[in-house]
Amino acid sequence: MKLQLKIWRQNGPSAPGGFKDYPIDNVSPDMSFLEMLDVLNVELVKKGETPVEFDHDCREGICGSCSLMINGNAHGPETGTATCQLHMRKFKDGDTVVVEPWRAKAFPVIKDLATDRTAFDRIMAAGGFVSVNTGNAPEANSILIGHDTAESAMDSAACIGCGACVAACKNSSAMLFVSAKVSHLAQLPQGHPERAKRVRGMVTQMDKEGFGNCSNTGACEAACPKEIKLENIARLNREMMRAAFTE
Amino acid sequence: MLDSKIPSGPIEHKWTERKFENKLVNPANRRKHTIIVVGTGLAGSAAAATLAEQGYRVKVFTYHESPRRAHSIAAQGGINAAKNYQNDGDSVQRLFYDTIKGGDYRSREANVYRLAEVSVNIIDQCVAQGVPFAREYGGTLTNRSFGGTQVSRTFYAKGQTGQQLLLGAYSALMRQAGDKTVEIFPRHEMLDLILSDGKARGIVTRNLKTGEITSHTADAVVLATGGYGNVFFLSTNAKASNCTASWRAYKRGAYMANPCFTQIHPTCIPVSGDHQSKLTLMSESLRNDGRVWVPKKVGDSRGPLDIPEEERDYFLERMYPAFGNLVPRDVASRAAKRMCDEGRGVGNSKLSVYLDFAESIQRMGEAKVREKYGNLFQMYEKITDENPYKVPMRIYPAVHYVMGGLWVDYNLMSNIPGLFVLGEANFSDHGANRLGASALMQGLADGYFIAPYSVGNYIGSEKMAAIKSDNDAVKSTTQAVVERLEAFKKVKGNQSAETLHRKLGKIMWDKCGMGRNEQGLKEAISQIKALKEEFWSTLWVPQDDKCLSSEIEKAGRVSDFIELGELMCVDALERKESCGGHFREEMQTPEGETLRDDENFSHVAAWEFSADKPKLHKEPLKFEFAHIAQRNYK
Amino acid sequence: MASLKIFLKSSVGRKFLVGLTGLGLSGFVLTHMAGNMLMFVSPEAYNTYGHRLITNPLIYVAEVGLLVMFVVHMGLALKLALENKVARALAPSQNPSNCEKDARFGSRYMALTGILVLVFVVLHLITFKYGPYYPVTYNGVEMRDLHKLIIEKFKSPLYSGWYLFSMLVLFVHLAHGFSASFQSLGLFSVRQCLIKKLGWLFALIVAGGFFIQPIYGYFYGGN
Repeated sequence: MKLQLKIWRQNGPSAPGGFKDYPIDNVSPDMSFLEMLDVLNVELVKKGETPVEFDHDCREGICGSCSLMINGNAHGPETGTATCQLHMRKFKDGDTVVVEPWRAKAFPVIKDLATDRTAFDRIMAAGGFVSVNTGNAPEANSILIGHDTAESAMDSAACIGCGACVAACKNSSAMLFVSAKVSHLAQLPQGHPERAKRVRGMVTQMDKEGFGNCSNTGACEAACPKEIKLENIARLNREMMRAAFTE
Repeated sequence: MLDSKIPSGPIEHKWTERKFENKLVNPANRRKHTIIVVGTGLAGSAAAATLAEQGYRVKVFTYHESPRRAHSIAAQGGINAAKNYQNDGDSVQRLFYDTIKGGDYRSREANVYRLAEVSVNIIDQCVAQGVPFAREYGGTLTNRSFGGTQVSRTFYAKGQTGQQLLLGAYSALMRQAGDKTVEIFPRHEMLDLILSDGKARGIVTRNLKTGEITSHTADAVVLATGGYGNVFFLSTNAKASNCTASWRAYKRGAYMANPCFTQIHPTCIPVSGDHQSKLTLMSESLRNDGRVWVPKKVGDSRGPLDIPEEERDYFLERMYPAFGNLVPRDVASRAAKRMCDEGRGVGNSKLSVYLDFAESIQRMGEAKVREKYGNLFQMYEKITDENPYKVPMRIYPAVHYVMGGLWVDYNLMSNIPGLFVLGEANFSDHGANRLGASALMQGLADGYFIAPYSVGNYIGSEKMAAIKSDNDAVKSTTQAVVERLEAFKKVKGNQSAETLHRKLGKIMWDKCGMGRNEQGLKEAISQIKALKEEFWSTLWVPQDDKCLSSEIEKAGRVSDFIELGELMCVDALERKESCGGHFREEMQTPEGETLRDDENFSHVAAWEFSADKPKLHKEPLKFEFAHIAQRNYK
Repeated sequence: MASLKIFLKSSVGRKFLVGLTGLGLSGFVLTHMAGNMLMFVSPEAYNTYGHRLITNPLIYVAEVGLLVMFVVHMGLALKLALENKVARALAPSQNPSNCEKDARFGSRYMALTGILVLVFVVLHLITFKYGPYYPVTYNGVEMRDLHKLIIEKFKSPLYSGWYLFSMLVLFVHLAHGFSASFQSLGLFSVRQCLIKKLGWLFALIVAGGFFIQPIYGYFYGGN
């Protein structure tokens, strides 16, 4: 396969960026999207040009590092898939492929396609935990949790924190991420003692980081590689309202 | 002589004894001590959070953008614990024994017993943090079984157990970060270890965003930097997983133990072409319900659905009737390789075997199979474009884990005082082969329950002068890091580090992979020496290193991998026996199983760096409590 | 009290207020539309209904309430929309995300349709509430002949066209807004099919009701 790549190049957080064209040959349909970029980078090195920087690590769709906007889609055209699991068989010979970083004020570009998503960590530090010191724990089976509740909490907890929800949202809202985190613990008895404090802390930090506001468009759900459901946002709203009347 | 500092007394009392002997630090004094933790996987995050909870000042370093992206996150299947919730005869004793036997009697008995002992606390801790383990309808925890055991002791959260456990440890860490007891340095890579008066007193890091080189000092350094499986280039490890932290410590005098012990995992998605950048694991839990087979006939090119039942060879069930498809990983991998060597492999490359769910789907229905393994099946389909509900999966062994690592004593301290090594980065618990679902167990055991005691004891028993940033050792170590980066830039060749890494990987896989022999290892050593020269004459990195530059990161990692690869071959050559994942073709039983040489090799091979030739130290392994025997899974 | 303040200042709390006031306003347009339907009964029924409404002393309370809802709804929604623009930080060359195409049509244009509705409301008040006064007497009670006024206005194709256009805009606004309010209140999820369909149905009833009135006025006005 032959492709025409248009890749966003930007030298640093404050440097101006722009698209650059890179034609690429010999793309195998079995390659992953990132392997295609690896091939491009090897070619660039041979020519003494600086390779394209992009975040990636596990390449199994679980670490949440990869983060490309491909033809305007967060993580590319396939649903329920992170960029690292997107394969070139989803493209056609001769396609033009536009590759950009996540765009959001709260995710500044570090270089080229790599962005800084540490805002998510600060949100987590503001309440995304159960306060239990090592050694404090009671016997595991003394906390009974119904099968369906555990499964539902797991579905929320499956979020990989990649930021696709923010990138896909026209408002750069982080509501799907935050709501998945809040929902995971709100559904479990272990999370109940700190329920109000948690949601208040996380939402306040989210606002402080400069993410936009949710306008219920559902674009986040459509882009999420782990198919985290919009129901989580409704639950977050509910938790927040509940917290308004709890000290 | 290596002192492993194992407490005396019966094995069940050793850890209790040690905890009592340990010196303590007054809570008010703890905040005067800084501890550096490198790595934020299960072991690193758990240790950092726990030490901070105890009151120490903790600085945490990771080359990832967020602590939560460490590679523990990719573990799929589960975590073992001797809870005996299934009432099927499990106990601490049995988990201990299974692990010793699974490791082919090359692990340290006292460490393994302690691991089994604290395994039960891990599950309690994780549940309290809100880890959504799978549950029965009555609300209690459920289990599944893994290879090398005949009980169900594996706890799991769908096929994302590692993710959920890491998110638990990460949340504990972020809680401390919010309380400002932990300072986190993301996108910082450790490039050297600072020693002062022979003690580990700090590290030198590169800020990956800005290229800035800085030194950080402390009273103790904890390395939880994972394994070096990427020495093979293709492995199931994450792309950035590397040996640099360990290797830098090795070059500063820490011993590297059993470096040749690597685990080849039997169920990975086969290589699809030269572009392949990494391999994807299919969880071992699949072997609970999937059946492994190849055609009986050599060179059978029919599709899997066209091969009738009687012409299929369910070779694991045939060769190992007692454990069947759930034999340990090294055994299953070698059996698959043997089938392919006989010409009975399947797929285009003929380098894979089938993992078939047809029978399970018939037995429990597609919906149940989907609930148990849905995300794994989905992952398989994304990568291969084949529907595993309809057509059997194709799998082949791939490098997955390393049992070898920095040498540590019973307290998880290396031979350098003040340098602690946890999780996959140390060598201690898995011998020559690790059982499935035990890596998560070890990472969390080390991080939550062992290192915090040992580090406290070290701080409590050492008198240490404050170390300043103008200290000679700090300055010279920082300078060495800067010079090394300059050296990469000076080569000005035309090959990327990744290209050189692929070449190293091929040598290692061919000669130091699933089967090893004297001639091959000798060839490998000379080829690696040549590759090292090629590296230093043809490498290209960008001249600008004051920004994010993955080429510069990779150059450092690959140059260390090349040196480590050579040591692995030296170690493999030295160990003239077959055990666990280390299969010396010269040493095998008539049936092709591993043949240990307990008389000559019942020891840990700990290598000390020296400029011309590494020096071997041996720690003899004594088995007082486990009955040593030939492994038998038949 | 402190937690209530945190809630109301947060993005979630402000969205909650937008949703709540939105639902209140939805209730208002529904009753308004239903009341207007009296024009199909007779001019007398229509005018008497209007007269009873404005002579009820509670009307002032209702008007103040309505005004507050309007101001809160608009003010907060605009502030949120402006924050969203800042948060996006689009590079000029950037295309909008394709995922937006998966997002519902109405949800993308809430601010725009909201502003159009506001323009309509202001003009609407000028035209009718503060428009010409035609007296009429039924059973000895003098009242305003609003029926005459609306027919007069609907007779103009220009006015009727603008009115119809505005009702289309209202439809788009309500189709997303009604169901999204439930999501913001944490009651249901937009993606829950039922509430989504209910949103469409509600918008259809309200806008549809308003829609047939000028058409009727234009073609059959007063006959």
